[in-house]
Amino acid sequence: MRATDNQGSFLNRISIRRNQVVSMDGNHEQELEDLDLFQKHVADRFSDLLSSTSDDDSVLSIAWLRKLLDAFLCCEAEFKAVLLMGRDPSQISKPPLDRLVPEFLDRVVKALDVCNAAAHGVESVRHYQKLAEIVVAAFEQKPIGDGQVRRAKKALNSLMLTLEDKEGSTHKSAERTWSFGRRGAPSNKDRSTAGNFRSLSWTMSKGWSAAKQIQAMSANLVAPRGGESSGLALPVYIMSTIMVFVMWALVAAIPCQERNGLLTHFPVPRQLGWAQSMIVLQDRIAEEWKKKKEKNKLAGLLEETQRLERLGLSLIEFSDSFQFPGEAERLEEVAAQVSELSEICKKMEEGLVPLQQQIREVFHRVVRSRTEILDVLDQGGKMSAPTM
Amino acid sequence: MGDFSSVLHLCEGDQHVIAATQHLVKALGSSKILNDDLRKILSQLDSHLSSMNIITTESRGPGFREVEEQFRCSEEKIMGWESRQSFIWDCGPLEASQYLKSVHDIQTLVEGFRSLSANEDRKHKELVNRAESLLQIAMSKLEEELIHILVKHKQYFEPEYMSFRSWRRDVVYDESFVSVEDIAFEEESQRNFCGSESEEYILDLVDPHVIPHLKSIADIMFASNYHQEFCQAFISARRDALEEYLIILKVEKLSIEDVLKMQWDSLSSKIKNWVRAMKIIIRYLASEKRLCDQISGDFGFVSPLCFADISKVSLLPLLSFGEAIAMETHGPEKLFCLLDMYEVVADNLLYIDTLFSEEAGAWVRIEFHELHRGLADTARATFMAFGNAIAANGSTSPFPKGAIHPLTKYVMNHISTLTIYCNALNVLLKDHDTADSNPPENGHISSSLTYGHLACRLRSITSTLEFNLDCKSKLYKDAALQHIFLMNNFHYMVEKVKGSELRLFFGDDWIRKHIVKFQQHATSYQRATWSLVLSLLRDDGSASKASLNEKCRGFCIAFEEVYKSQTGWSIPDSQLREELQISTSQKVVHAYRNFTGRNSSSIGDKYIKYTADDLQNYILDFFDGSSRSLQNSRWKEPAWF
Repeated sequence: MRATDNQGSFLNRISIRRNQVVSMDGNHEQELEDLDLFQKHVADRFSDLLSSTSDDDSVLSIAWLRKLLDAFLCCEAEFKAVLLMGRDPSQISKPPLDRLVPEFLDRVVKALDVCNAAAHGVESVRHYQKLAEIVVAAFEQKPIGDGQVRRAKKALNSLMLTLEDKEGSTHKSAERTWSFGRRGAPSNKDRSTAGNFRSLSWTMSKGWSAAKQIQAMSANLVAPRGGESSGLALPVYIMSTIMVFVMWALVAAIPCQERNGLLTHFPVPRQLGWAQSMIVLQDRIAEEWKKKKEKNKLAGLLEETQRLERLGLSLIEFSDSFQFPGEAERLEEVAAQVSELSEICKKMEEGLVPLQQQIREVFHRVVRSRTEILDVLDQGGKMSAPTM
Repeated sequence: MGDFSSVLHLCEGDQHVIAATQHLVKALGSSKILNDDLRKILSQLDSHLSSMNIITTESRGPGFREVEEQFRCSEEKIMGWESRQSFIWDCGPLEASQYLKSVHDIQTLVEGFRSLSANEDRKHKELVNRAESLLQIAMSKLEEELIHILVKHKQYFEPEYMSFRSWRRDVVYDESFVSVEDIAFEEESQRNFCGSESEEYILDLVDPHVIPHLKSIADIMFASNYHQEFCQAFISARRDALEEYLIILKVEKLSIEDVLKMQWDSLSSKIKNWVRAMKIIIRYLASEKRLCDQISGDFGFVSPLCFADISKVSLLPLLSFGEAIAMETHGPEKLFCLLDMYEVVADNLLYIDTLFSEEAGAWVRIEFHELHRGLADTARATFMAFGNAIAANGSTSPFPKGAIHPLTKYVMNHISTLTIYCNALNVLLKDHDTADSNPPENGHISSSLTYGHLACRLRSITSTLEFNLDCKSKLYKDAALQHIFLMNNFHYMVEKVKGSELRLFFGDDWIRKHIVKFQQHATSYQRATWSLVLSLLRDDGSASKASLNEKCRGFCIAFEEVYKSQTGWSIPDSQLREELQISTSQKVVHAYRNFTGRNSSSIGDKYIKYTADDLQNYILDFFDGSSRSLQNSRWKEPAWF
């Protein structure tokens, strides 16, 4: 089922129903049905995401992340409909929502910062792409000679350096010597060789940590129990979980400021139908993350980045042992690797900018929803300004 | 360089002969019989061949040796710099041009060899390999030179210099809603800047004399197909420069969470800084774009790509701060800073569109439009909330002395500051208001302002204020004081409108009506206070001495009471006070003089406590704001009588 297909009809049904039934008590059954439908759609979207990993895209490839963000946007639209559309504002200012909704909005604000960090992180990945493109350009020139190999190696070294630089370490950026005001030349060649391929500085204040952000988002995430589990507390919980999952996946995939200690697990009750696929995905990503952490390679789990890394290592090895004119067999191998590299670059070229735009779209959508929810809370009048 | 190409040309000639011979051999192989003509040509070829010098692979004759010689010369030049610590362009233009020539020679050689890829002999291949290798070394060196020049010759401009737009005002952001002093806002509305691409607006971010150097490096690197390295190095160096400049501009990297938690005091100073930084950065970006064009403009789409990559990430903190501010609902006192932010984005939106018109800059364009929308929504909502806040400002006790209420001052000062943002607000409100008066086409300035969206809103705001004041006036028990209060406040409003840009928005009609209003309250005051008091002096036909005495005494007591209370009332505007005193005086003194004159023979001196002149003087004490008593000073001195 395509994510967008059922959305329109769902929203229509809700709005028609809400308009028909004004009395709140008679509404309850309808509401249960809406909630069921919402859960079903969430389940469907995530099982789509899970199954798409088996055929074309692996988990955390650019294409898959874009699907994930699509799914997020759809779920978000439905969630807002369930929570707000045609509803009496006083309903969401009553317990337990008077606590859960502000908590949700708090998570939203944290998600916004994660979006910013991730959009910035995509820029780092684009930087990897540019370096990989130089490698491709060098090796695609035939015959391969010392010049090409050296050219490629230079780019490869920078690539490996920047990949490692994203391991949550800040020592590199600390070395930066600002020289404004002064006109003196920087310390000679060290700067220019390492400097021109230096990775980007972070976008957040010092001490901001993506890992902590995710941790804080998931801190008070508790599944509603008893009577609450059939009310509006449930969609708030579901949407919160989706948001934490999506932000977590972004942080795992894309280089982000401070990812040391990133959660590998956040509790999602296994008995909940809508969460099944999400749990499988979560386990898979967590597994990958642990593996990478052991190897101390944390440039990000983005499929394309990992492939760059693998190919890069192999090509560095080739470059180190290369002697003109090189063995035919080895050259053929390299040609195959270079064409794979070129294919990844192409994927990146096609996918990264749209991914970045999509992250911004999520950002703006979430901002708007927050405003709408705040407006309703305001109308409810029960709550003063949110404490955020 | 002619030597290189001629040898290469020769080699190319060889290629043709080889191809022709191969063709010949093939043709001969297919036929077994030779006819006479053919035999003749072939024997000619044979003798021709035997007379030629055979070039062996070991020594290709003078042409090839020359190439090798040239190559070695360039190699020496290029490798020589590898062992030196200094930078080529630092050593003068001659060194630079010699180096560039060597690189150019190598590059031409490599180009030539590449087109001769059919040549498979080992020596040739070795030479190509060495040449390619040398080219790579040179490219690496040039990359370092490029960064060195960019870093060494970058120029920053003092933010003060960059902000060439005069600061039209210094709006106080943090005034509270309840109490505000009369603040004379600076109002210089002489600014009509809309990002123009004038030369003056653009600055040299790199010392202009190195532009040709950078260009020559770009040219040779692009010609050698090392454009990616060039772009990466260029982008990286320029992005660093921009990031440094953002630090100079005190643009902080704040998370949205931080901003939302921030106290207003620190937030307002950050907002001011943001507005300033945004203005400067846009100018900086325009200059950056020109630099990109100067260096890489010849290479098609490269320049916009570089420009977008340099700017994009650095703008994130600025954009994110703006988004964070736009996310929150704000009190009316924060409207000005929102408007400042809105204006700087709105004013430059078209300019940003032009700067980032290419696909590569779409991201920046979209983000600016989003920010523009967000700030517009928030500013509009804050503006609309202002009216509600005025309506909701209730009081439980009457305002002392009937003076000008702080709300009146606040509202009037607030809206007169708003007129500075006239253009922005008219746009903001236009999107919001649906049914409103149609501004006359091509009307002169005052009328078009008077009928604009902002003007309508402002008038509705003052109506709300008037209504609120009316309610507040009901809190006074004394009807006369109600009128003094309303007269004072309306007078203040009129003066404020007349004395500022507001007059253009409210129009003469409004002013006239409101002058009438406060004058009516003045009249009503006189009626409320003096009708009863003066009625004591009315000639009611009975001329008995006792009743006249009693009337006179009653009048004096009443006057004393009025004196006691109304000296405590306040009319802060001296002119208004004098006018009211004079007209009161005329009325009262006239009546008193008539009464005493008419009945001078009947009233005992004892009862005429005050002369008409006394009254006239006493009335000058009215509305002074400090209550006084006549009884203490004069009345209780019966010894003299």
